[in-house]
Amino acid sequence: MTAVASSIPPEWYLLLAAAVFCIGLFGVLTRNDALYFLMSVELMMNAANINFVAFALYYGDLTGQVFALFVIALAAAEVAIGIGIILVLYRNFGVTDVTVPTEMRW
Amino acid sequence: MIDVFSYVPAIVLLPFFSFLIALGVGKYLPKGGAFGGIAATAGSFLLSLWVLATVAGGEAANRTLYYWASEGGAGIGPTDIELSFGILIDPLSALMLVIVTLVALLVHVFSLGYMNDEGETGLPRYYAGLGLFTASMLGFVVADNLLMAFMFFELVGLCSYLLIGFHFREPGPPSAAKKAFLVTRFGDYFFLIGVVAVIATFGTAQFAGTESFPHLAEAALAGEGSVAWTPAGVELQTWLTVVGLLVLGGVVGKSAQFPLHTWLPDAMEGPTPVSALIHAATMVAAGVYLVARMYGFYALTPTTLAVIAFIGGFTALFAATMGVVKDELKQVLAYSTISQYGYMMLALGAGGYVAAVFHLTTHAFFKALLFLGAGAVIIAMHHNEDMWDMGGLKAKMPVTYYTFLAGSLALAGIFPFAGFWSKDEILYEALVHGLNDPLLLGGYLMGLLAVPVTAFYTFRMVFLTFHGEARSDTARDPEPVRWNVKGPLTVLGTLAVVTGFINMVPVQKVLGLEGIDLLHLWLDNHWGGIEGLSSHHYADIGPYSSGYLVGGEVGTVLVGAAVSLGLALGGLLVAWRLYNVPSPTEHTAKLGGIKDVLYNNYYLDELQVWLAYRTEDVAGGANTFDQGIIDGVVNGVSSVSLFGGSRIRRIQSGVVSQYAALLTLGLVALLLALGLSGGWFL
Amino acid sequence: MIEALIGFTFAAALLVLLAPDEWAGRLAFAFSLLPFAGSLYLWSGFESAGNALTGGDIGYMTQIEWLEVGGRTVSWFVGVDGISLPLVVLTTFLVPLAIVSAWTPIDSRQSQFYGLMLFMEANLLGVFTALDFFLWFVFWEAVLVPMYFLIGVWGGPRRKYAAIKFFVYTNAASLLMFIGFMSLTFALGGSVSSFALPEITGAIADGGLGTWFGISPDRIAMVAFLAMFAGFAVKVPIVPVHTWLPDAHVEAPTPVSVLLAGVLLKMGTYALLRFNFTMLPDQASALAVPIAAIAVISVIYGAMLALAQKDLKRIVAYSSVSSMGYVILGLVVFTEYGVGGATFQMVAHGLISGLMFMAVGVIYNATHTRMVGDMSGMADRMPVAVGILVAGAFGYMGLPLMAGFAGEFFIFVGSFAAPSLPYAPIFTALAMFGIVIVAGYLLSAMQSTLFGPFELETDYDVGPAPFHDVAPLAVLLVAIIVLGVAPDIFFEMIRDAAVPVVEGVTING
Repeated sequence: MTAVASSIPPEWYLLLAAAVFCIGLFGVLTRNDALYFLMSVELMMNAANINFVAFALYYGDLTGQVFALFVIALAAAEVAIGIGIILVLYRNFGVTDVTVPTEMRW
Repeated sequence: MIDVFSYVPAIVLLPFFSFLIALGVGKYLPKGGAFGGIAATAGSFLLSLWVLATVAGGEAANRTLYYWASEGGAGIGPTDIELSFGILIDPLSALMLVIVTLVALLVHVFSLGYMNDEGETGLPRYYAGLGLFTASMLGFVVADNLLMAFMFFELVGLCSYLLIGFHFREPGPPSAAKKAFLVTRFGDYFFLIGVVAVIATFGTAQFAGTESFPHLAEAALAGEGSVAWTPAGVELQTWLTVVGLLVLGGVVGKSAQFPLHTWLPDAMEGPTPVSALIHAATMVAAGVYLVARMYGFYALTPTTLAVIAFIGGFTALFAATMGVVKDELKQVLAYSTISQYGYMMLALGAGGYVAAVFHLTTHAFFKALLFLGAGAVIIAMHHNEDMWDMGGLKAKMPVTYYTFLAGSLALAGIFPFAGFWSKDEILYEALVHGLNDPLLLGGYLMGLLAVPVTAFYTFRMVFLTFHGEARSDTARDPEPVRWNVKGPLTVLGTLAVVTGFINMVPVQKVLGLEGIDLLHLWLDNHWGGIEGLSSHHYADIGPYSSGYLVGGEVGTVLVGAAVSLGLALGGLLVAWRLYNVPSPTEHTAKLGGIKDVLYNNYYLDELQVWLAYRTEDVAGGANTFDQGIIDGVVNGVSSVSLFGGSRIRRIQSGVVSQYAALLTLGLVALLLALGLSGGWFL
Repeated sequence: MIEALIGFTFAAALLVLLAPDEWAGRLAFAFSLLPFAGSLYLWSGFESAGNALTGGDIGYMTQIEWLEVGGRTVSWFVGVDGISLPLVVLTTFLVPLAIVSAWTPIDSRQSQFYGLMLFMEANLLGVFTALDFFLWFVFWEAVLVPMYFLIGVWGGPRRKYAAIKFFVYTNAASLLMFIGFMSLTFALGGSVSSFALPEITGAIADGGLGTWFGISPDRIAMVAFLAMFAGFAVKVPIVPVHTWLPDAHVEAPTPVSVLLAGVLLKMGTYALLRFNFTMLPDQASALAVPIAAIAVISVIYGAMLALAQKDLKRIVAYSSVSSMGYVILGLVVFTEYGVGGATFQMVAHGLISGLMFMAVGVIYNATHTRMVGDMSGMADRMPVAVGILVAGAFGYMGLPLMAGFAGEFFIFVGSFAAPSLPYAPIFTALAMFGIVIVAGYLLSAMQSTLFGPFELETDYDVGPAPFHDVAPLAVLLVAIIVLGVAPDIFFEMIRDAAVPVVEGVTING
C-alpha cells in the first residue's frame, strides 16, 4: 500500500469507476456486435472492481480485494461461456450481430 | 308373565325381514317370496292381536328403546334433546296395529292371485316393497315421538314410490310414482319444519307422558310451566298454532287433502293390491293417524282445529264431485278415498276424535274391500279398468259382487253397514259442535252435501260394473278368480258389515243402553291406557261446546242420522234410476261444461304441472344467469389476464440490445425513484 | 401413528407409480386398504375429549420441531380430535372404493393414475390431521397437484379447461386465505412463538391480537376472517364462487369425481370450521346474517341449477353446492347441533355424493353418455346398479335412516332456534325447502333415465354392470344406512369437539 494511492481522495476513484461503467454501458446500448457486448460488460465489471479495491484500501479491510479477485475469476469464466455462445451464434446465423437472432421471444 | 310389549319391535321387524328375504333371495323362493311376506304379516297380525288383548287387559307401554342420537351435553342452543326411537302402545296404536297388519296380510294373500297368477315379473321386488311398506307403516304406528313418526312417515313415502312405480318399464307408473313422492314431499317439508319447531320449542318430541310436548304445551298455556323457546315476539298461542299448521302440512300431503290430493288418483298406476294397502291401511291413513296421535296438541289450538275441519269438509265434497264422472273403476275409488279421508279430517277438526278413529277403522276395511274387489274385477276383465266395458258381472262372479256390494253400502253410509255408523257420528259431532261455531258448521254442511254425492257415485260404479248387460267380450266371458282372491274379499266383506257395531253411539244415546259404544270406551281408557291420551282428556282441553237441535241430544241424534241416511238413500236411488238399466248411457254428459271441469279435476293437475314448468323456467333462467354472468365473470377475469399477458409479452422482443436498454432504463428509474423519496436531490 | 399412516400412503403411491400398468389397480387397492385399517385402528383407540384447537386432548399427537421462520417455529404437528377423525376415516374409506371404481373406466397409464390417487390420499390425510399452519398449508396445496393431473390427463373432452380452471381458481383462493392467516399471525406479534394452530387459537381467544401497521385488532380480525372465508368459500364451494365445480366434475373421470365431491369439498368446510369459526368466532357471529343468507342462497340456487341440468354429473355436482350450503348454515349458527350436524353432514355428504358419482359412472361405463335425454329404462338392463342408485338418490333427498337425513336434521335442529342468528327460524325454513327441490330434480332425472321403456342408441348390448363396479356401490350404501340408523357412531365424538367451538362465541344481546 503506497502512500500515493491512499493520498488520492476516494471521490476520484468513484469518478473513475463511474466513467468506466458508463463507457461500458454506452457500448452495450449502442453496439450490435456480440463481441463488443462482451467487452463492454467486462468494462462494467471492472468498474465495480475499482470500487471494491478502492474501498478496501480506505477501510483497511481485505474483503473488498477478495471480492475483486472473485469477480475477475468470474469474468474469466463468463468470457469463456460468452465466447462459446458467440461461436454458436456465428455457426447458426453466420453473424455476430445480436439483433439478427430474435427467436427467443413470445 | 310374558311382557308382550317387548315383542312390539318384532311386529315392525317381521315385515322388514320379509323385505330383506324377498330382496335377497326372493328369486330362488317359490312365488317370488310371497310366503315370506304372508308369514311375516301373519306373525305381526297375531302379535298385534295379542297386544290388543293386553291393552284391553289394562296395560299400556311408553318406552324408549334406542337412542338415535345421544342426549346433548353443553353449549348454547337446543341441548339435552332426546332423539330416540321407542314404542307407544295405547288403545289407539293397538287398534291401528291390528288394522294395518290385517289389511297387509290380506293384501299379501290377494297378491298371490293378482300378481303371481297373472304372471307378473319382478315379484321379489314387489314383495320386498310390500314388506317394507308394511314395516314402515307399523313403525309409524308404534312411534312414541314425532321425530320417529316423521322418519317412518317418509319411509312410507319411499315405499309408495317403489310400489306405485312397480311397472317401471311403462311410462305412466314412474311418472305417477314421482308425483306421489314429490307432492307428499312438499307436504313433508312443512312437517319437517314442524318437527324441528316442536323439538326447538319443547326440547322433546315425545307424544305421551309428563315430559311430552302436548303436555308441556298444555301446561305452558295454562300458565303452569314454560316452553324452552319461542321465536322472539311471537305469542305462545300463536306459535303453537303455527307449529300445528306446519305439522298439518305433512298430514295434508299424505292423507291427500286439498290442495295436495292430486297425487292419489295418479297413484292408481300401481298394482291394485298396492292401492288397497295405500288407501286403506298405510300411507293415506298415516296423516289422519298422526293428527289423532298428537290430538292432545291440536286440541289446544282452536284455529288449527278449525282449519282441519274446513279442509276436511271441503275435501270431502270436492273429491266426491270428481268421483261422479270418472270412467275407470279405480279412479272412482281413488276420489272416494280422498273424500272419505276428508270426513276423518272433518271429524278431527270438529273435536270428534273417536269418530275419526272409528271412520278410519271402518274405512280401512271397506276401502280395502272395495279395492280388492276392484282388483278381482280387473283380473276378470284382463286388466281393463273402464267401467263402460263392464256390466253384468254380477252373475259371473257372485262372491266378488256381494262383498263389493257390502263395501259399497258401507261407503255410501247405508244402515246398518259399517260406514253408516262412523260417518253418522262424524256428522253428528260436527253438527253439535258446529252449532256454536259457524266455520265448523260450514264444514258440516259440506260434509252433509257430500253424502248423496258419495252414494251416487258409489252405486253408479256398482251398477255400471255388475248390473245390466255385458258391454264387451271380456265382460261376457270374464276370467275366474281363485281362493286367494275370494278369501280376503270374504273376510273384509264380513268386516264391512259388522265393524260398525263396535260403536253404536246413536243406539246408545237413543235407547240409553250403556256399554255398547265400545270404541268410545276403548279410546277413553275405559280398560286402561296412558294418562293424557284419552278422548275425555281431549274433550276437556278442546275448545268446543255442544249445542243441540230440537229435542236435545236424542232429538239431534235422530235428526242428524235421518238426514244423512235420507240423503244417502236419495243418492243411491238416483244412481239406481239412471244406471241400473240393461244398457246405461253417460248421463253425466248432460252436465256439459261442468263435466269437463270435474273430469279434469278442476284443472288442479294442470295448475300444478304449470307450476312445475314455471319452476323449471326459473331454474333455466338461473342456469343461464350462472353460465352467463357468474361463470362469465370468472372466465372474464381469465380472459383479461390472458389478453394482458399477450400484450405485455411483446416486450420480450428477442433483441438483446433492447433488453439491455430496458435494463438501463429500469435502473435509472429505480435510482430516480429512490433518490426522490430519499431526498438526494433536495 | 399418524405419520406412519401418511408415510405409508406416500410410499404406496411411489410403489404403485413404479408398478406395471396391468396390476397397478389391484396393487393400489390392496395398498389403500392398509390406511383404512390404520384409520380404523386410530378410531378404535380414540377417546374423544374436546376440540384440538381449544385446548382439548389431541389424539395420537406428534410434535417435532422442524424449522424456524420469522422467529416462529414450524413443526411436524399432527393429531386428531372428534372433528378430524371422522374425516380421516371417510377419506381412507372412500379411496379404496374409488380405486375399485376406476378399474373399468381407466384404461391408460394405470400406474400413474393409481399412484396419483394414493398421493392425493396421503395429502388429504395430512390436511385433516395437521395442526401446524405451515404443515397444513403444504398438504393443502399439495392436494391440488395430483388433482390437476387426474383431471387434466384422464378427463373428458374439455379436461384442460377444467383442470386449469380448478387449479387457478382454488390456488388464487389459497393465496387470499394465506394472506388472511398471515396477517392474523403477525398481528399476534410476540404472543405466539410457533405456527401451531392450538397456540394461535388460544392466543386470539386471550386477546393476543395487537395493533399492526396502525390497524386495530378488531379490524385485522375482521379482514383476516373475510379473506380466509373467501379463500375457503371457493373450496367448499359457496355461491357465487362455485363455477369451477361443475366443470371439474363433468370432465373428471368417475373415481376422481368421487374423491373431489367426497373429500376435497370437505377440505373447505373443515378449514372454515377450524380457522374461521373456531379461531374467530366473534367475527363469525357478527357476520352471521350475511353468512346464513349466503348459505341459504347456496342451498336454493344450487338446487335450482341442478334442476336445469341435463348431464347427470352436472346434476350431482350442483346438488353438492346445495348440500354444502346446509353445512355453512350449520356452522354459522353456533349451536351444538348446528356445528356438530355440519360436521356430520360433511361425512354423510361425502358418502352419498361419492355413491351418486360412482353410480352415474357405472351407468356411463355402459352407455357412454350421461345426458338425460339420451337414454331411458336403464333399470331394465342394470337392475342392481340402478337399484342402488335409486337408494342413493333417496339418501341424497334426505330419506330418514340414511346418513344425509341425520346430518340435515341435526343442522336444522341446531339452527332453528339458534340464539346467535337473528331470524334463525326463517333462514332454516328457507334452507329446508332445498329438500323439496332436490327431490324434484333427482326424481325427474331418474324417471327419464332409469325408468320407462329401455332406449339407448348403441351398436352393442348393454348388460348388467360387472361385480367390481357394483360392489363399491353396495358397500357405500350399507355405510350410508348404518350411519343413518346409528349416527352416534360419529356424532358423539363430533359433538365433543364441537361444543368448545360453540362455547367460544359471545352472543350479542
